[in-house]
Amino acid sequence: MKSLHEINGEYNCFNTIQEYKEKTEGALKGVKISVKDCICVKGMESTAGSAILKGYRPLFNATAVQKLLDEGAVIIGKTAQDAFGFGSFSINTGKGFKQPLNPIDKTRVTGGSSGGSACITKLADFSHIALAESTGGSIACPASYCGVIGLTPTYGRVSRYGLIDYANSLDKIGVMAKTVIECAKALEIIAGKDKKDQTTADAPVEKYTSFPGKGVKGIRIGIIKESIQDGVDKDVKEKFLKTAEFLKSKGAIVEEVTLPVTFKHALPVYYIIAMSEASTNLAKYCGMRYGRDEKIEGSFNEYFAKVRSKCFDDETKRRIMLGTFARMSGFRDAYYIKSAKIRTLIINEYKNLFKKYDVLISPSMPNTAPKTEEVKKLTPIQNYMMDILTVGPNLAGLPHISVPVGAGLPTGFMIIADHFDEGIMLQVAYEI
Amino acid sequence: MKYKFTEDIVIGLEIHAQLNTHTKLFCGCPAHGDETPNTRTCPTCLGMPGSKPALNKTALRFAIKLALALGCEISSKLIFSRKSYFYPDMAKNYQISQYELPLGINGKLILNNGKEIGITRVHMEEDPASLVHPAGMGASSYVLVDYNRSGNPLCEIVTEPAMNSPEEAREFMKQLISVLKYLKIFDTDTCIIKADANVSIKQKEYKRVEIKNITGFKEIERALKYEVERQKNEEVANETRAWDADKGATFTLRKKETEEEYGYIIEPDLAVEEISKEMLEEAKKEMPELAHEKAMRFVEEHKIRKEDALIIAQEKELAELFEKAVKEINPALAVVWIRHELNRVLNYNKKTLEDVKLDEKEMLKLLRLVEKKIITDRVAQKILEQLAEKKIDVEKYVEENNLKAVSDAGAIEKYCKEAVEECKTAVEDYKKGNEKAFNSIVGAVMKKSRGAASPAEVQKILKEMMK
Repeated sequence: MKSLHEINGEYNCFNTIQEYKEKTEGALKGVKISVKDCICVKGMESTAGSAILKGYRPLFNATAVQKLLDEGAVIIGKTAQDAFGFGSFSINTGKGFKQPLNPIDKTRVTGGSSGGSACITKLADFSHIALAESTGGSIACPASYCGVIGLTPTYGRVSRYGLIDYANSLDKIGVMAKTVIECAKALEIIAGKDKKDQTTADAPVEKYTSFPGKGVKGIRIGIIKESIQDGVDKDVKEKFLKTAEFLKSKGAIVEEVTLPVTFKHALPVYYIIAMSEASTNLAKYCGMRYGRDEKIEGSFNEYFAKVRSKCFDDETKRRIMLGTFARMSGFRDAYYIKSAKIRTLIINEYKNLFKKYDVLISPSMPNTAPKTEEVKKLTPIQNYMMDILTVGPNLAGLPHISVPVGAGLPTGFMIIADHFDEGIMLQVAYEI
Repeated sequence: MKYKFTEDIVIGLEIHAQLNTHTKLFCGCPAHGDETPNTRTCPTCLGMPGSKPALNKTALRFAIKLALALGCEISSKLIFSRKSYFYPDMAKNYQISQYELPLGINGKLILNNGKEIGITRVHMEEDPASLVHPAGMGASSYVLVDYNRSGNPLCEIVTEPAMNSPEEAREFMKQLISVLKYLKIFDTDTCIIKADANVSIKQKEYKRVEIKNITGFKEIERALKYEVERQKNEEVANETRAWDADKGATFTLRKKETEEEYGYIIEPDLAVEEISKEMLEEAKKEMPELAHEKAMRFVEEHKIRKEDALIIAQEKELAELFEKAVKEINPALAVVWIRHELNRVLNYNKKTLEDVKLDEKEMLKLLRLVEKKIITDRVAQKILEQLAEKKIDVEKYVEENNLKAVSDAGAIEKYCKEAVEECKTAVEDYKKGNEKAFNSIVGAVMKKSRGAASPAEVQKILKEMMK
């Protein structure tokens, strides 16, 4: 059995390896938890993968972390990610951070931004659950590329208290594991209303572990037509359709559905909202109260600019600039406000389908994990295009789960459910 | 331009008033208390990564009351926005405020002269931290930041540019403070109130100048008077100036070429909340009678002059004292003593009623003694001066100092006789037609009686005696 340090030496899946527990008994006794670096663990360096937060040791546990600790889980460290979640491949790591490598083929990317989480989930030969986070696909994407299960709950299902924000109206803390049951169990523990996060929902937490095993007979499933058209790898499409057929054979009703508004607009709308919010969230990092600082010289503006220029990576700077532009007076109506309106249309488009279908399905990613070298050649726009399948449910705040299917390089099968319908999603996922 | 101005002076105010809640707007830290720097702080008001805001419901209730009291239309939804700008006093480099949909719009406040000042908007926001310049502003090579204030609940009140003199601006501030105090959502000892004023004058084609950070209603009049004079005598530019209360002058902070860019977005950490009819009803039920209504009632019930009623009602403490007084004494007498005499003493001491913590019970005793003519007005004035300074038992004081009015004609006559004998020169002068000399004889009698004789009575007897 390899030690975590040995695994990390080979795959760079951790930013910090450190053990922390508060209780020895509970439902998660003996379970090890890796925590994405953007989720606060008391006293443990939490950088969200960015150099500017080097040295930040939170004074408190994120609510999700606290709930896991209360059940006797042991935190084993903080996992690697794109800085602040800004990426789909975990290659946009902060200055001085290493890129995590795909556990199946080290020349390939893990996916992102929760790359370290997916990587250690695949490699762990012990009982392990990853606490991860998705804004636009950061759980489904790496889960798909690394061949593990990745669950993103409904927006507001799990408290964001203690999450270092990317885009607050989109961020969702979720989990990764090797089995559907483990994901259900972890969600059952971390879900629920939290007075420290006013965007959490009152909706009662269901017993998610009771859903797997109920079968799929009579379950109405919609295949999202746009998700298997041009631009999707042949191999991915075949594995996906084969799985859909399999569910049909088990008694599910499978039909094609379409999401025209979503597929036309979700990607730009997502990026405008995400970057607008991100650019305000990142304003607080100026070398004053925590994280990195520099020698104080000149005016406060010069000092803030110096720290930020030095410590933010290129992608972070790009998103701050684009996000700031989109909310400037004169542009905000055309970009930020308009995006918020289209977001509502997209939510309604999904809601309409859920009147007729229990779940919707699509591949998680249009491809299998690309090689790092290939990804580095992509332009920013090509980069953002990779999120085409995941931004829809993320923008609409819908729960979704990626389940690995087929042999060879992993591909993900994504099941999307209506708000707060995580149970039925787990029920279907379990059958695959 | 939205407004067509015709007046010589145009003033609009943006006032920030701190709401008197126990805790801050978005976290559980105490809003006042220990002044040791950075002790009343937590991850949220320090803007620590991972922290989240949670709305203080009491602050919301207070703000709703204010908006209602100012006659605003209340928004059906509560939406906060992020106002982004970089400054060392900002914990997050954005301030949680309200932008598109403020809590209240289209309100008004009526001045004592009957003029209505339109209120454009009332909204809630968090206070930034305070900056400490150890060697004074401008002279310090560094600045210290104290986050105790960071996150304190503020209400911003924006008026129409409807005031036409510094005096009107002063009165607006005074009236607003009166409303805040009546609503019990503001404490003059612990809460901050400050104003930014937009001033322009006809003579300079209404070029707009903003004056930042003026504290208190007296300062606002001073600052605006200075600024109006300055604008008349100097070149005027569109700019932001600051008021230096020590120097009694405004000075340039920055020139305004463009509007400030705040890049507002909806605050995504706070769920949009409904302001329900029930919430409004509840707030309305808790609404006290405000100054203007109270004044109208005083006029109606006690038949006092409107002018007096407005002035008494404007100060909550005065109004309460008046209401207690008229239960026992004649309203006209109560007006004289509460509006005029008490104010004279306070003005003389440059204090407010709150500063002196006047003992209401003793004050009422004093008024009873006056009404029953047990003491003279003059004695009462003297006692009131004492009462404004220290705690005294009025009745005991009168007794011990032998201050009861001398209604006994025999005693007064005796004092008069003595005085006429002692003030021979004055008597001569008076007989030659010098009225002033008469007053000095009256004074001598009053001194003998320690003010306890009725001056009218004394004059009558003296005139008789010196015929």
